[in-house]
Amino acid sequence: MTKEYLLFMLINGLSEGMLLFIIASGLSLVFGVLRVINFAHGSLYMIGAFVAYSLSTLLTTGSLMSFLVLLLVVPPVIAVLGFFLEVTLFRRVYREEHLLQLLLTYALVLILDDVVRVIWGGDPRNVARPELLAGSVDILGLALPTYNVFILGVGPVVAIGLWLLLYRTRSGNIIRAAVSYPDTLGALGVNVSWVMTATFMLGCWLAGLGGVLVASLASIDLGIGMQKIIECFAVVVIGGLGSVGGALLGSLIIGTGITFFQLPFGRWALIFPYLMMAVVLIVRPWGLFGRPER
Amino acid sequence: MDSQAVNQSQSGNLNRPGTVAIVVALVLLPFILSQFGRTGEFWIWVTTEMIITGLFAMSLNLILGFGGMVSFGHAAFFGVGAYTVALLMKKAGVPLFLALLAAPVAAAIAAAIIGWFCVRLIGLYFAILTLAFSQLLYMIVFQWYTFTGGDDGIHGIPRPEFLGPTSYYLLCLAIFLVCFMLMRMIVNSSFGLSIRTIRENMERAKFIGINVRRYQWINFIIAGAFAGLAGGLLCELNRFAQTEFLHWSKSAEPILGSLVGGMYSLAGPAVGSAVLIFMKIILQQLHRSMVEMWAIVLGSILLVVVLFAPGGLASLYQKLFRKSDS
Amino acid sequence: MANHILSIEHVSKSFEGLQVFNDVSFAIAEGELSSIIGPNGAGKTTLFNLITGYHIPDDGKIVFEGRNIAGMQPFDIVRLGMARAFQRTNIFPRMSVLENVLTTVITRQKGNLNFVTPTRNLKSAHDRAYEILEGVGLADMAQRLSGTLAHGNQKRLDIAVALALEPKLLLLDEPTAGMSPEERWQTVELVKQLWERLKITMLFIEHDMDIVFGISQTVRVLCYKTLLAEGTPKEISANQQVIEAYLGEEV
Repeated sequence: MTKEYLLFMLINGLSEGMLLFIIASGLSLVFGVLRVINFAHGSLYMIGAFVAYSLSTLLTTGSLMSFLVLLLVVPPVIAVLGFFLEVTLFRRVYREEHLLQLLLTYALVLILDDVVRVIWGGDPRNVARPELLAGSVDILGLALPTYNVFILGVGPVVAIGLWLLLYRTRSGNIIRAAVSYPDTLGALGVNVSWVMTATFMLGCWLAGLGGVLVASLASIDLGIGMQKIIECFAVVVIGGLGSVGGALLGSLIIGTGITFFQLPFGRWALIFPYLMMAVVLIVRPWGLFGRPER
Repeated sequence: MDSQAVNQSQSGNLNRPGTVAIVVALVLLPFILSQFGRTGEFWIWVTTEMIITGLFAMSLNLILGFGGMVSFGHAAFFGVGAYTVALLMKKAGVPLFLALLAAPVAAAIAAAIIGWFCVRLIGLYFAILTLAFSQLLYMIVFQWYTFTGGDDGIHGIPRPEFLGPTSYYLLCLAIFLVCFMLMRMIVNSSFGLSIRTIRENMERAKFIGINVRRYQWINFIIAGAFAGLAGGLLCELNRFAQTEFLHWSKSAEPILGSLVGGMYSLAGPAVGSAVLIFMKIILQQLHRSMVEMWAIVLGSILLVVVLFAPGGLASLYQKLFRKSDS
Repeated sequence: MANHILSIEHVSKSFEGLQVFNDVSFAIAEGELSSIIGPNGAGKTTLFNLITGYHIPDDGKIVFEGRNIAGMQPFDIVRLGMARAFQRTNIFPRMSVLENVLTTVITRQKGNLNFVTPTRNLKSAHDRAYEILEGVGLADMAQRLSGTLAHGNQKRLDIAVALALEPKLLLLDEPTAGMSPEERWQTVELVKQLWERLKITMLFIEHDMDIVFGISQTVRVLCYKTLLAEGTPKEISANQQVIEAYLGEEV
């Protein structure tokens, strides 16, 4: 096994991790502000992927322009869907016990996943990569798929964007305050329910973005929502619920972990996230970056 | 003794003639149905599935309703039971009754291992970890093609000749009734009281001297064992075991059954599951493509329950009746 | 010198770098009715949490009947004969008043790993539960859902649950919190009467100085991460340090 091969694996693993981060950061952010863990986050991601597929059939295949349209249109569509879900459903259960919140989002998984089945059916689909990203690039004498490298680049952009949003804007300050001091926010004259809706939409936007990106990375089918939400759970469990930085680290661990475990274990590597999650939950249930609730 | 509080807790206090009438009706049912040819046979199959799913839902409710622990991974034990029966009968030629005995034992062992980790966590984290473990098990069964048949499952599980649809129905009914009595005994025992005590106030339970984790663990194992038995029975009914039995969506079924039928009663989840299966069949009869929408229906029911009747649909009926009373 | 049922020896505790106790030591004589006072945030409830095993001290020993219990689990400590009633009502709300006490009695009798006998057939446990409820004046409400009781009665039930453990040492965290003046004195009467009848050691936290000085044999003042003073009500009310640090503000 050569050094080059390991590097190749590392790049693949990291790009896998970055995609996961884009989705998981949305889940984590929503939990941080709303205190609801959204089981349906994976379904929203899957809807994003399928909407991207449908939209792509209307556009020129393989053109960069079409890809940009997908990137610009699909995430907002999912965000708007999120808006309706938040206003009609989530808002009603913020003050209820955890059990009910869990069951509500679980009900959404059942509904949304089946809606996808009814609309798109069970066949695997995919979206052609734009020509510019379809080939491979030479890095350090290695031919790497351009698209993976592209995702590897998008991840940090999203991370920096989120960081700027959270730490350099007024809205970000409010969101962070909502995470840390949920009770005092109303007293400051901030419309808390607006902050929650906006955060939820941002989370959905990220899920939608992940959906667009994955549609050209691999084939999409009805199982990707559940698969991804559990990987996301693994990520937020490792990184701590509500922590975006933790989500980044967790995603990279899971992404590279799955890739590298494939060397000795083949397809069995897919159980890595579950194992990792179980281990972290047992040893440090509040995550590496999170804090115990009590 | 018959105050509201005691009624809520001491479950299964149906009046005696009513219980006898229900049991007699259930025993006679297949003999009546078998008069109706193929349709009748189909309905015998459906009611058998109802009984088995009811047992599965009741087993979950031991931890969900009585224990206050939300598990999203109960299908793991159902699946372990099913695969135990499938593997023992198909690969080792073990007779049905021995295999059915082994199913709850294997499931209990799985529950003991998984539960040992899970009961260290509470609430949300408990729910996530149960889901993670069940998906882990699902993946293992899915991947381990040589042993479990992977995606194909295990088919052609033998059935003893004397077991026709009616006699298998009666066997399941008998097992169900025995399990019901056992669960009622457990719920009404000191152990059952301790479990409810933990559900009501876990912190205080520690301060009255209850070793919370140990009791939750034992309860988790008991629930797993009953789920395993249900899985074994369904495996023999269908004569196959498949990965679906361990899938997360399988874990949703008993939760929904419990919510529809009422989490704070013993028989409620079984009734709820039966109602759900009945609805599914009706939907199927209305239009074939409606089955595609089954999860949408389930999800919508769950939404309604969560938003309007958190105590389960049973509590909604109760509310309505109370209002009309006064 | 009487026998000490409980002694706190050089206990220190910090939470996330913030020190709550620094080298606290005191001892409680067997059979004593004593109180702990101190300003808000002095860590009175935290002290109870340490004694009952909810928190583990960073340093020092907590000796109950000659045995170091620091680091033991709450449910094990309870079994040694120490019980606690809580500041914020802490009962089992969707169970009947009787069941609240019954489950405790059964646990106390170590009979809760019984999967067979219906609890309604456990005659002696029922009798014992009723006896305890009578002792706190709740027997006629035994069948009511405990969550529906008035606040004062819920606190009584909380005490009844603690008593069902047949403790040698009973810790009461502000037994009169949130009560009307009338209810307060009823509760104080109850506490005093229980102490006289059961002859157990009691330690309570209280804010109302009239109550504290009215019924305690010994008063301990917790302030500035440590035990500021300890003595009879008379001594404490005359203690210059205590007046400056604590009582002064209120007088």
